[in-house]
Parts: sequence; structure tokens; C-alpha cells
Amino acid sequence: MYKNFRKILVIYKGARGALLVSQVLLFLSVATNQVIMALNARLINDGVQANDIGVVINTAVWMIGLTLLLTVFSIGNALYAVMFAEGTANFLRVTTFRKVQTFSFGNLDRFRTGDLLVRLTADVNNVKSAVLFGVMNLLQAPFTIFVVLVITWFLAPSQLWLMVTIMAVVSVILFSLLRNIQKLFKLRQDALDRVNNTLQENLSGVRVVKAFVREPYERQRFATASDELKQAALAPAYRIAIFLPTAMSLIYIAIAVIYLTMGREVMINQTLSLGEVVVFSQLLAAALVPITMLAYILPYLEAGEASLGRIIEVLADTPEIQEKPDAQRIDPAKVQGRIVFDNVSFGYRDKDGKPIGQALQNINLTIEPGETVGFLGATGAGKSSLVNLIPRFYDVTAGRITIDGVDVRDIPQHQLHKLVAVALQESVLFTGTVRGNVLMGNVKADDDAMLAAAQAADADSFVSNIPESYDATVARRGANFSGGQRQRLSIARALAAEPKILILDDSTSALDMATEAHVQGAVQTLIGQTTKLYVAQRISTVLTADKIVLLDGGKQVAAGRHNELVKQSQLYRDICISQLGMAPELQDAGGKS
Amino acid sequence: MSVSSQSQPAKDPRQAAATPHKLPTFKLLRRLMGYITASRGRFWLAMVLVLVSVLLAALLPYLMGLAINIIGGQGAYSDLLGVLVAMVVASLVMWLAGWLRNRLMSALAEEGLNRLRKALFDHIQTLSLNFFDRQPIGELMSSVTNDMEVIGNFFSRGLSQGVTALMTIIVVLGFMLFLSIPLTITAVIFLPFMLGVAAIMGRIAGPGFAKLQEQLSETNGFMEETLGGAKTLIAYRQQAQAGDTMEDLSIIARDLGAKSSLIGLVTGPLVNVAQTAQLAFIALVGSILAIQGALGIGIVVAFLNYSEMLQGPVQQLSQIYNAVLQAAAGAQRVFAMLDETATVQDKPGARDLNNVDGLVSFKDVDFSYVQGRKVLRHNTFTAQPGQKIGLVGPTGAGKSTIMNILTRYYDIDAGGIELDGVDITEFSQVSLRRSIGQVLQEAFLFSDTVMNNLKYAREGATDEECIAAAKQANAHDFIMQLSDGYNTVLTERGANLSQGQRQMITIARAMVANPKLLVLDEATSNVDTRTEKLIQAGLRKLMEGKTSFVVAHRLSTIQDSDQILVINKGEIIEHGTHDELMATQGFYYDLYMSQFKGKLAQFATA
Repeated sequence: MYKNFRKILVIYKGARGALLVSQVLLFLSVATNQVIMALNARLINDGVQANDIGVVINTAVWMIGLTLLLTVFSIGNALYAVMFAEGTANFLRVTTFRKVQTFSFGNLDRFRTGDLLVRLTADVNNVKSAVLFGVMNLLQAPFTIFVVLVITWFLAPSQLWLMVTIMAVVSVILFSLLRNIQKLFKLRQDALDRVNNTLQENLSGVRVVKAFVREPYERQRFATASDELKQAALAPAYRIAIFLPTAMSLIYIAIAVIYLTMGREVMINQTLSLGEVVVFSQLLAAALVPITMLAYILPYLEAGEASLGRIIEVLADTPEIQEKPDAQRIDPAKVQGRIVFDNVSFGYRDKDGKPIGQALQNINLTIEPGETVGFLGATGAGKSSLVNLIPRFYDVTAGRITIDGVDVRDIPQHQLHKLVAVALQESVLFTGTVRGNVLMGNVKADDDAMLAAAQAADADSFVSNIPESYDATVARRGANFSGGQRQRLSIARALAAEPKILILDDSTSALDMATEAHVQGAVQTLIGQTTKLYVAQRISTVLTADKIVLLDGGKQVAAGRHNELVKQSQLYRDICISQLGMAPELQDAGGKS
Repeated sequence: MSVSSQSQPAKDPRQAAATPHKLPTFKLLRRLMGYITASRGRFWLAMVLVLVSVLLAALLPYLMGLAINIIGGQGAYSDLLGVLVAMVVASLVMWLAGWLRNRLMSALAEEGLNRLRKALFDHIQTLSLNFFDRQPIGELMSSVTNDMEVIGNFFSRGLSQGVTALMTIIVVLGFMLFLSIPLTITAVIFLPFMLGVAAIMGRIAGPGFAKLQEQLSETNGFMEETLGGAKTLIAYRQQAQAGDTMEDLSIIARDLGAKSSLIGLVTGPLVNVAQTAQLAFIALVGSILAIQGALGIGIVVAFLNYSEMLQGPVQQLSQIYNAVLQAAAGAQRVFAMLDETATVQDKPGARDLNNVDGLVSFKDVDFSYVQGRKVLRHNTFTAQPGQKIGLVGPTGAGKSTIMNILTRYYDIDAGGIELDGVDITEFSQVSLRRSIGQVLQEAFLFSDTVMNNLKYAREGATDEECIAAAKQANAHDFIMQLSDGYNTVLTERGANLSQGQRQMITIARAMVANPKLLVLDEATSNVDTRTEKLIQAGLRKLMEGKTSFVVAHRLSTIQDSDQILVINKGEIIEHGTHDELMATQGFYYDLYMSQFKGKLAQFATA
């Protein structure tokens, strides 16, 4: 039971002291509470029945004094429980987040952003609640039962068996009512997910719904899901509906049993006092309340356990790319940027590390230092996969890639990523300033270098128009910049890193053709010696490259300059026709394809 | 990478319209209760059951008191048996009443929630597109789910707790007053103090919670950003630094979280002090009264129990009050949505559109999404039946808008749109949209079988018709290769198909609808050339004999149009065939040249 919680206790040793202290305080507060109740026996026997007002007042003062002590214990318990729970949450949050920071692209593909975010927020919160309620309440029931039995043994050992029997019977009945209730809650959650999915899909497809006038059908679909949710929600609700009345009635019936048996001892055998009967009935009620409470915290514990499982899944994952122990830094000054693909094949991997299909097959390619190479092909042809292998975002499945003759797997990742700068397909900016974003890959660069990079990327034109210029604030995920602006800033970021190899992965798609041509020209002027790789959907992006590599279904089908490919490759001609409306060599013949 | 708490939220003028007037809490609750009290008889039965179980719960401590008095010497053992039998009977009846009450309240709550859920969904279906423009779907979704959850909590817990708590307080006070007035005064003397503690703690916790929420949303924002940009962090070697920032943020969150939940948790023990002090006080005064012979010790014990019975409800009152406020806030938003009226309405007496020829004319049409910002100005053109009309222009010029107003997703500001010579507002929206087939830029498919996705286009379409349409659209072959053919269930938003395949299914879907008019927002730039050829062939078949409007993202697809409308900044600045427009050497010519020939010329000189 709760194997995930036990696992995490092994990993997390940070606040064992707080946990222990909180449990000691919990025990003390339970014990104090019971002692206060037991004082009622003294009040009734020695005070009321003996007509002694002095004892009555004295006992009341004791009760109030002990209550103050109880308060100290309870607050202390809450304090340490909260510290422990928040400490656990903090530990999980930071450890998991740091773990994610060690992930490679392949790991990140499997855990999607939204999914990771849920694990780091909602799941961590579930664990926190479970820990908090668990630490505060879980042991309350056994502690209470223990103290009640000890007091019983002190006051009237003969009644011990009766108390034990009653508590056992009541516990068994109550827990049998809760059996399998988790399953019912799970079914309810599933039904709720279905309702939300139906709603989400309806809202996302609102145009399709309206286009085909299918509102009545959608209503029917939602009504079905909603009705199912109602039924699924009622099942656990009905179980809870019977649980509480049962608990309450059982307590009263148990008290009646105590009055019956102990009353007989008082009235006929005269082996017990009235005060003791009252105390026993109160103690019994006090012992059954925490058992009932368990019913309330059980769902939290279950939810916490499931959430913890999802967090541990992240913690247990190993980064796909591992640094070789004998990886050697190469002299950056000597790097020229000659890239060789030597019979490279590549497939994305599933969770167990098995390749799923083949994204690239037997690629042989040599890129000379300073060359500009364009990669062209349809979505899924393998363009991005190919360039992502160079900075080792993924590892090849077969063959090898070398930079100046050194296998990329023999270069430390940190240095490799410094040598190869990539403007990724999705241009992401981070909260902070424009300067911070542009200089992300080269913090030490001076303003001139930053300016040169921004100018070449055509970013300076809009940045210099902002009053704060390069110190302007960048909002979350760069929301205050347009898609085209974000792309230009991420190109500037790649340029500012002063790489030996520059990769622009479809990062000019939001720019118009004139701007794109301007940026390409400026990049050539700024870093002519650097090897430049352009991945593109648009043929115009790669038209002027030294070499165009045409990919189709993971295979290299042609490579060469534009005028060579027009002659050699039917596929290339097809793309020209499709994108330009005509084959280049036919352009004088009138235009229609 | 640095983290700053400053951010500049994008200002959206459309959101201004979304703030509705506020209804008073009382009215909101009454309206909300209407969903529960719809089954009037069962609602009142539930109320009677609440009363019965509360009365019995109050009777039991009295019976216990009687038993103790008897045990204490005021009667025979046989009298005790009678009282105990009464206790057991009362317990059993209370159990039955409590159980039925809970069942009934649960059923009423879930039914009420279900009623509200369906009413909201049904109403959203009637709203016009401008409602969906106002907020992103994610936002709408989370507000609907959150609001329904708080209302659900109120229905299933807050409501029955509140009713039970109020009745318990009244009934128990009644029993206490009946038994002993001086002890009652002793018992309630601490209540104001307890309420005060709870209220003060709520005050202290309030701002703490707000601060915590702010901090949490800051931390969440950071995580969302860094997880979303994780690949960029790898590329620029920023992982360790992100981890450090996370740790700083997380520790702040830990400390704030501890502080605010501690305040909540301390309330319990503090109230407990008052409670125990009160019990001691009752025991003290009661014992003195018992010694004086004014009442039996059993009644004192009964008072101790009554005093405990009052604690729960009194402590709950502030929680329940919070739940009520939350539910009212949720209800406010839900009702605002329910009260939203569709901006596009059928005219009274609107007739159904039948037998369309396909003559479309725009007459001096002006349109704006937001008042004061014209998107279209003086648009005038006529499309003859069966013609293909290409729409060309820069992004944001208004091409898609022309589609949106032709299908009457939005009403125009001035001018008129006529179909076969009749203004489109004369027709019912339903029949108008049935006559216009649409293939949208985003190939949206439902997570259902391929067949059901095709059937979606027309109620009552047969399997044979759908398969025939799929064949026409070149989709049949790859559908047959899917694991279950036409019965293959598509994953969320059609993710198990390639983009090109999704597009072909949407074309087949439009064919199933078999409309007389077509609007196409094509986006085929991301598919391989073979697939693109298949898609183009499918589209040509779809357009056969229909008046078609094609929004072009690449000029190559509309060169063979009967008419090309060149739109810039909301105005039709040129129109004619490709050859005519090339001959005039205007905007279209420039667009064409800059897109292709300019680039080629540059290549030639490079």
C-alpha cells in the first residue's frame, strides 16, 4: 500500500525531524484531550455526587489549564505538519524541475509541456494535501484508540474487552462501507473528463458545427455525456450518503450498549461509578470520530498516491543523450565547421528506447566550411530531424556525424551547443529584456556584437523603435512581440552566439520574401566564414544556397545547386511548379502550368 | 535569462464588451436554487427529512441524560431498559432519515447541476461567432469548468450543510432552553468569541491567500514558459540557471504557502480552546446546579453534548458563507453567459432557402468586427452561378472576412449581400448555412470514427454516400489502409492522420453536404507534392458546377479562376481574370512578380 509514498520517503530525507516532532505533538494533543474528558469522572463522582463544590471548581480549573496545553500541542502539530508538507512540495517541485532540465529533446517529446506542467503543479499540490492531511490525521485514530484503552485500563480494567469489541465492530462496519469507493470516484472523474472533452471539442470546432448546422446533434452528444456524469457522480455520493448517518447512529447505539452493560455494573453489582460510565461513553465517542475522519482523508491519500506516481515517472526517466565519460573539449579556435554525415540513419524512440519507424535513412552528406546549405522537403520528410542531429539534440541510430572529423558524440554537449547555434522552428522568447534574450547564448558579448546580430536579423529595425530599446521588457513567452518579430529576435540570438555552425530551422517562415532575402544577405556579410544551414518549407528560402538538399520520406533524393536540381530532379521541378506556379525553365512560355 | 515580475499583458479591446452588469448575491442564489427546486415535491421531502434527523439528533442526548439520571439513582434498571430501547429506536430512525436525506439531496444536487450544465451548453450553441472571438477557447473552457465545479460543490455540499447547520442550531437551542435556561445561557456565552476567532483568522488569511495566489501564478507562468521553451534552453545552455530560478521561486511559494495554510489550521485549535473552556464552564455551573438539586447530572451531561453539537454548525457557518459567495461568483459568470443573446438573429418570418442557383452579389458592403474599426469598405461584386472566385491579398486584408459575412457568421454594417437576388437576411441561418459548403483552413475533425466525421456534414447521410464522397475526394484509398477503415476512431483533433489526409477528409465531408455554394480557405503549403496534387484534384471535383470562393495563400491555386478579387486594406482594388490583371500591371502584377519572378531574377544575378 502507498508504495509511491514510501519511495519518496526514501528519496526525501530533508525534514524527517519535522515529521517526527509533529507526530509526537499529535500524540500529546490526543492524550491531553482524553485526559480532559476523563476528568469528568472526578467531577461527577467526587464533586457532584459527593456534593463538594471545591472539587468541582478545582476540576474545572484543571480542565481549562489542560486545554491551554492542548492548544499549544495542536498548534505545534499544525506548524510542523505544514512545514513538512510544504517542504515535501518544494522538494518535489525543485527536484522534478531540475530533472526536466537534464532531459534531451527525445524525453521532452514524450512528456509534453502541458503534461509536465500538470505534474509540477496539480500533482505536487495533491501530494501536498495528502501529506498534510496524512501527517495531521492518519495516526490520530490509532493514537486515540491507544489512549482510550490505556485510560480504560486505569479506570476499570474489567471494561477493556467491551471497549475493544465495540471499537472493532464499528470500525469493521464503517470500513466495509468505504470499500472500493475509490473506484467509484475514478469512474466519476472519467465521466467528468468526457464531459470536458466534449465541451472542449465543441468549442474548438465551433465553426465546423455552425458550417454544417449540427447544433442539435452536438446538444444530444453533450446531453448524453452530461447524463452519464450525473449517474457516475451519484454512485460515490450514495455511498457517502449512507456512511455518515451510519457512523453517527453506531456511536449512539454503542453508547446505549455501554449504558446497558455498565449501568448494570453501577446499579446492580455496584462495581462501577456513574462518573466512569459517563467518561466511557465520551471516550468511546471520541475514539470513533477519528475513525470517521479517516473516511475523509482517504480520498486525499489516494489522489496523492496517484499523483506521486506520475511525478516519480518523470524522476525515473533517464536523459536520452548521455555525455561520454571521455568526452574531450576541442580547441574552438581551430574549428572550421566542416560537417560530414556518414551513412546516418535515425528514428525517434519510444519510452523504452526502441526506435519508432525511420525518420532518416542512410544519409551521406558533406558540408564544407562556410557553405550555405538549404534543406527542402515536405512536412515529415526529415529536414528538422537531420539538422537536429548535428548539435546532438538526438543521437543517430546508425552511422556517425563529424564536425572537422570529430564525432559529435565525443564533444562535451556544453561546448557542442556553443559551437552550433540553432534558431529552432518555434521561436521562443523568455521573460526579461530584449538584451537578455538576444545575448542568451553569449552573455559576455558587448553591445556592438549584439547590435550587429540584431541588425543582420532585421530585428534592430523594430527594437530601436521601442522607447526602452534593448532594455525593453519581454513578457511571458514573448507575448508582446509578433510572430515575425519573435522569429527575427531568435535569429539574432543565434547570430549573437557567434557560432561556427548556424542552423535556422524554418525560422524565416513568418517573414515576407523581401525581408527574408535581406536577412540572408546580411547573415552572409556578417558571418561568411560560418557554415550556414537553412531548413525551409518555401523554395524561395533556399533558392540561392550553395547546395540544396532535397529530402523525401527520410531519404536524400537530390542535392546540388538550383540550376542543377531543375535539370536532375523531377520532384524538385514539381515543387517549383507547385510553389511558383511554373517550372523555372518554362517561365518565358507564358506561365500557366 | 533573467526573470522579472513585470509583464505587459496584451490589451484586447474586445474584452471590454464582456464585462456584464452585476446581479445581487441574493438574486443569483434564488436563480441558482431554481435548478434544484425544479423537482418541488422531492425538495420539500428532503427538507422534512432534514428536520426529522435533526430533531432525533437533538433528542438522543436528552435520552442519554435520562439514562444517566437513572444510572445515577433516579430510577430502576428496568426503567433504564426502556430508555435504552428508545435510544436504539431513535438511532435507527435517525439513520434511516439521514440516509434518505443524503441520497435525496445528492440526487437533487446532481440533477440540478446536470440541468444547468445542459442549459449552458445548449445556450452556447445558439451564440454567434463574435462571442467566441472575445475570449480564447482555453479561457472559456477553464472558466466554465471552474464555475461549474464551485456551483457543484455548493449544490452537493454547501447547500445541505447549510440547511442542516441552521436547523441544528435552532432545534438544539430549543431543546436547551426547554431543559434549563441558566445552563443555556452558560452554553452560548462563548459562541460569539468562537465566531470572532474564525472571522479574524479569515481576515488575516485573506490577503495571505491573495499573495500566495499571485506568487503561484508567477511560478506557474515561469514553469509554463521554461517547459514550453525547454528545447531553446538546451540549445543555449540555460538549463542549470532555470533550475536555480525555479528553486528560488519554489522556496518563496513554500514559505507563503506555509504561512497562509498555518493561519487556517491554527483557527481550529483556537476555537477548540474556547470550546473546551466552555465545556468546563458548563460542567462547573451544571455541577453546582446539580449539587443544589436544581437538575439531574444527566441533564448536565446532555448539555455538554448539546454544546458539542452546536460547535460543528457554528464553525461551519463561515465556511458555508464562503462557499455561498464562491458559488454566487460562479453563478454570476454562468448566468451572464446564459443571458448573452446571439448577435446574429433570424428575421421574424425568415424563410428557408431552397433550390439555390448560386448568384451571389455584394452591394457596397461595409463590415467591422469591432465598432469603429472597418475591416471591409464598399465591397461590390457579383459572382455568376458556377463561377470560381479567387480572393487575393496580403494577410489581414479581409479575405476570410468576406467568407464570414457570406455565411452570416457576422452581420454587416451597411450595404447588402444577395443570393439569387434576395438579401441573405431574408433566409433562416440554418438553411443558408446548409446551402454553403465550407472547407476551412484548419482541418478540424472530431474524435470519432472516420465515417461519423463524414456523416457530420449532413444528417441522414448514408454509408454509401459517404464512401462515394471519399472516393471523389481521393480519400478512400488511405482510409481503407487505416486499421479499421471507415470505423477507425480518430484521436484528438485527428492527430493520427497526416495534415494532407485530414484535409482530404474535410473535402470529402464537404462533398457529403453537397451544397450549391462553396467557400474554401485553402492551406496546402505543408504537404508533399503528391498529396497536394490529390488534394487539388479533389477540390476541383468538389467545385464542379458550384459557385466557389477560394481564399488563396499562394497565387498558383487561383490562376484559373473566372474572377480574381484583389483585396487590400478592406477594399477590392482590382478584379478580373489572371491574364487581365497581369495585363494591367497593378497590385496583383506586383504581388505576382515579387513572389516569383523577382526571386528568380535575384537568383539569376547571384
